[in-house]
Amino acid sequence: MGQQVINGLFLGSIYALFALGYTLVFGVLDILNLAHAAVFMVATFVAVALVGHGLDILLALPLAVLFAGLLGLVLERVAFRPLRARTDSNIAGLISSLAAATIIEAVALEIWGPNITRFPFGTMPEGPASQFQLLGGTVSRLQLTIIAVAVLLFLVLTWLVKGTRLGREVRAVAESPRSARVLGVNVDRAIAAAFFISSALGGAAGVLYGLAFNSISPDMGHGVELKGLAVIVLGGMGSMPGAVLAGFALGLTEVFVVANLGGSWRDVISFAGLFLFLVLRPRGLMGAAATREA
Amino acid sequence: MRLAGRISLFFAAASLLLTGSARAATVVKIGAALSLTGPAAAYGAQQKAGILAAVDEINKSGRLKGVKLEAIIEDDASTKEQGIAVFQRFINKDKVSAIIGPTLSNTATAADPLAQGAKVPVVAISNTLPKGITDIGPYIWRVSLTEAQVIPSALKAAQAKFGFKRAAVLYGNDDAFTQGGYGVMKSALEAMGTTTVGTQTFAKPDKDYTAQLTALLAAKPEILVVSALVENASGIVTQARQLGWQGPIFGGNGFNSPKLMSNAGPAAEGVYVGTAWNKPSTDAANLAFQKAMADRKHDPDQFCAQAYTGVLAIAEAIKLSGGKGGREDIRAGFLKVKGLPTPLGTFAFNKDRDGEHSAALQVVKDGKFQIVK
Amino acid sequence: MEQLTDIYLTYQSTIGYIGINALLALSIYVSLSCGQLALGSAGFAAIGAYASALATMKADLPFPVALLVAALLPALVAVPLGLPVLRLKGVFLAIATIGFGEVVRLGLVNWDYVNGAQGIVAIPQKASIWMIYLAVAVTLFLLWRVRGSKWGFALEAIREDEPAARTMGIPSTQYKLAMLVLGAALAGLAGGLEAHFTFMVAPNGFGFSRVVDMLVFAVVGGAQVFWGAVAGAAFLTVLPEALRELAPLVGIEPGPLRLLVNGLVLLLVILFLPAGLVSLPRRLRERRAARKAARAPAGGAGAAA
Repeated sequence: MGQQVINGLFLGSIYALFALGYTLVFGVLDILNLAHAAVFMVATFVAVALVGHGLDILLALPLAVLFAGLLGLVLERVAFRPLRARTDSNIAGLISSLAAATIIEAVALEIWGPNITRFPFGTMPEGPASQFQLLGGTVSRLQLTIIAVAVLLFLVLTWLVKGTRLGREVRAVAESPRSARVLGVNVDRAIAAAFFISSALGGAAGVLYGLAFNSISPDMGHGVELKGLAVIVLGGMGSMPGAVLAGFALGLTEVFVVANLGGSWRDVISFAGLFLFLVLRPRGLMGAAATREA
Repeated sequence: MRLAGRISLFFAAASLLLTGSARAATVVKIGAALSLTGPAAAYGAQQKAGILAAVDEINKSGRLKGVKLEAIIEDDASTKEQGIAVFQRFINKDKVSAIIGPTLSNTATAADPLAQGAKVPVVAISNTLPKGITDIGPYIWRVSLTEAQVIPSALKAAQAKFGFKRAAVLYGNDDAFTQGGYGVMKSALEAMGTTTVGTQTFAKPDKDYTAQLTALLAAKPEILVVSALVENASGIVTQARQLGWQGPIFGGNGFNSPKLMSNAGPAAEGVYVGTAWNKPSTDAANLAFQKAMADRKHDPDQFCAQAYTGVLAIAEAIKLSGGKGGREDIRAGFLKVKGLPTPLGTFAFNKDRDGEHSAALQVVKDGKFQIVK
Repeated sequence: MEQLTDIYLTYQSTIGYIGINALLALSIYVSLSCGQLALGSAGFAAIGAYASALATMKADLPFPVALLVAALLPALVAVPLGLPVLRLKGVFLAIATIGFGEVVRLGLVNWDYVNGAQGIVAIPQKASIWMIYLAVAVTLFLLWRVRGSKWGFALEAIREDEPAARTMGIPSTQYKLAMLVLGAALAGLAGGLEAHFTFMVAPNGFGFSRVVDMLVFAVVGGAQVFWGAVAGAAFLTVLPEALRELAPLVGIEPGPLRLLVNGLVLLLVILFLPAGLVSLPRRLRERRAARKAARAPAGGAGAAA
């Protein structure tokens, strides 16, 4: 029981981390950025390459996160900004993000090949020496670090959005780009900043995910892509506290479904839940009201 | 001129003259439909290396007087749509004498009927589903042992060693191969009188198996039996050890890859796998295979050895039909293949057109697969 | 003549798949034509494929009846599905329908009667290429008749501005539901044809990536006219076969190259050709006309000098 709670919290922190960045862009632009999972993947490979060149992970992680943020800026400039004026920009944006994801995956496949790889042994302490007992279960220091980082990043992001000028500008744009512009907000800059932060978060999630599971491959994003979707829907459109809450809720639910009903029910319940939530409570756990209905 | 994926291997003109034959050698084309991209790409790469090496070695050896093999390798992208397209190319455009592949069983059930209809012999080198492959028709053959030929004997060998009575089973339920492996494991465990204390599933894109493993370990098994692709296998093994599991882990065919050790590291120690290829065997054919791969700087696994054997079987069939390499000649030759020395051991086809040779149980020890005696 | 037969036989499956993919792309298009991004088609196709395979293999029904089942059953499922989800707009409808598709796929994975992940094998090959193209032709004829009719105008009005359409008295929900049901029937029909064209069906063939492919066909071809989806499906189905020849020339493995070209084509189309590849000739003509117009006065000035 204790072990399953730990398993669920850990899985939940991964979902939450991935969904934080996903939901930020969603909240600001109303665009589902399907390239988020590709950024998540490519940042992990960059970190593996840096560690492979002898860099310490404490240096490789921020560099890979920076790379992810910059890639986010490129994506915004190439795949999203040109579409912003269109009436169907949310459908067009979804499609161009799909195109960007495909291109990034193709490049990763060409550079790193299809096989799974891992961080070099010794990048993080592994084995029984790095584990201890908690709540009647086994937990590793790395797992605790990841849960802590997820919570920390959420707090930093909340401060960034609520407490800084940039954050207020981003929120103003999310509310209404037109009135934000009237109020003197540099809309392009605010949106670019949102993309940078979102992709950097996605990159951080990827590197931590890679460290935790050490099964790194060009298709590693596929496993979290749809789950991340479930999390942001559950949490409520663009709501960051919602995303964190929903991430942990989904992680714990999945673990308890596996423990009590069996693994084959897990994804059925996740996606049926996603579907039912959209139909019965479209604004999710913590989203703004009624914005999703026609 | 078409270059795509086409690798032709030629005799030097001089060596042709040395055979004393005035006429040029007959070229026998073999098409290989492999998954070089997509989810099964890791297996396809091993198979490609094995096929190219075998064709090269046979041509160099002059074993087939007056016949030269040519391998045409095409990627099926791990999908049935492209697998079918590749088969139709081989049959109607390249007009190959035989087809090797495809890598995945799902693709085989879609593409093999086309070859059967066109009367082109197919040699499966990695389809291990017990049912639904060779029963497509008399032109479909396979060298890869089915899970039913490997797993029950390997599980029995493991039981003789550990005397386990309680097993927990974990398998990937969204993949044809791992699901098929599970079916065989289940009936083998039942036949052995073992109690299955828990069964759990995961999906291919999963990386976190701790919930399933925690639930299984709570039921106090004496052995963990896993049917998974190698991409999932190393993660499962690592997480089981992290959760404190010290006991034996028994893996299906997907565990047969050096990637298991390179990704799981010390956690892979004590993993038992039934294998169709006894790597340390000192049979002449196995040594020749390992030398051929070492010359090409390729670290082979079981899939490579099976692909190599597939080409050997075709060459033998050509030899047995008097050096003729037509589609019917090769099929007629297959009927006579017996006692063929291959890297997998002494090889023959049985009446169901499935390969027969010895299987073994291996264990990971000191970062390497070693045979359990 | 023999050579021609060989070429036909070589590309037979590609030719068949162009038709199947065209039907799938059309199933996405019909919802797009009234501004709805519904992505349940992989699930509908799966239902059609499995239902028809069971109809011919277990119930011994004649193939045309099985195809009818393949089209009708998903359409029936689409009604109770559509009523609640069509209240959702934009990407939320897309997400809900993706969720539906995944539930269908997972249901098939867990259903032992249809062999789970191994799928149904040894399905008799009953769909011939003419049947596939007949289905495409009939669908195109229907859509051609809709264009310019009362229905066509209503759909266009809903796509452009749904609240305005509603105030004009157009029952938008009924129209949207009708299009979702039509899309489900087309996807199911395509699934039934595919099952009897390729000897087997398995749940893996109906995952998220399959519906993404369908959307890409529709968008690359052009989602503003009904033949765009067919053009997109044809172009992108032939592309991998063409890239087989091209890959060694550019020195990239065929797999990554295929992904790269797919991604680039999609990106370029969405950025520069929002009306899809079918609008390319018109765009080029306009370009040429504009250039000619720009050159004409310059030429005149030169003659005067």
